[in-house]
Amino acid sequence: MKCAFASPHVRATAIEANAFPRLAEEMEVWAVPRIVVDGVPQWDGAAPEPVFVARVLGASFG
Amino acid sequence: MAILRPEEEARARELLSALERPVELLVALGREETPLPGARDVDFGAETLRVAEGLAELSERVTVRVEHEPEGFPRFPSVAIRPEGRDAGVRFDGLPWGYEIGSLIGGVLEAGRRDSSLRPESLEALAALDRELAIDVFVTPT
Repeated sequence: MKCAFASPHVRATAIEANAFPRLAEEMEVWAVPRIVVDGVPQWDGAAPEPVFVARVLGASFG
Repeated sequence: MAILRPEEEARARELLSALERPVELLVALGREETPLPGARDVDFGAETLRVAEGLAELSERVTVRVEHEPEGFPRFPSVAIRPEGRDAGVRFDGLPWGYEIGSLIGGVLEAGRRDSSLRPESLEALAALDRELAIDVFVTPT
């Protein structure tokens, strides 16, 4: 969420997996938090800020 | 029924007193996906509105607005966290409950800051972003 508040190019959505089981299944949510960038699942689990930012930007550019 | 325990409510009220600008919670209601078995007795939309209104009661800088199936919302219920009523692209889809009420409060606190709480190097990296980026974080209440 902090990334989205800081950049007009970033949108951030927290999605409660139990409320949207079909989407959760599609994104292969077996553990939370599950991070998905541009519709592509990336990783599970919390990450320190520098790692999180590097990973989401890396996923975006990758 | 209160959304927070008394000690949690006192702490949340204290945190929200630091808001430097108004934050609007836009509660988007509409047709909901059939949830998992066992959760069907919960009115997710009504509960989401109750949580948002419960937070607004803790700070005069937090307001709540409700819209029915507004444009650009793929799922309902959803709460958009809007600094000064502006769409910043930040949402919580589904019922923010349990542990996730804390996440919603965290979002409100960040929206209420005039300056980002991110590290300078993170802001620098984000400033170099020249395309749209959608981050989805799947969570559960426990």
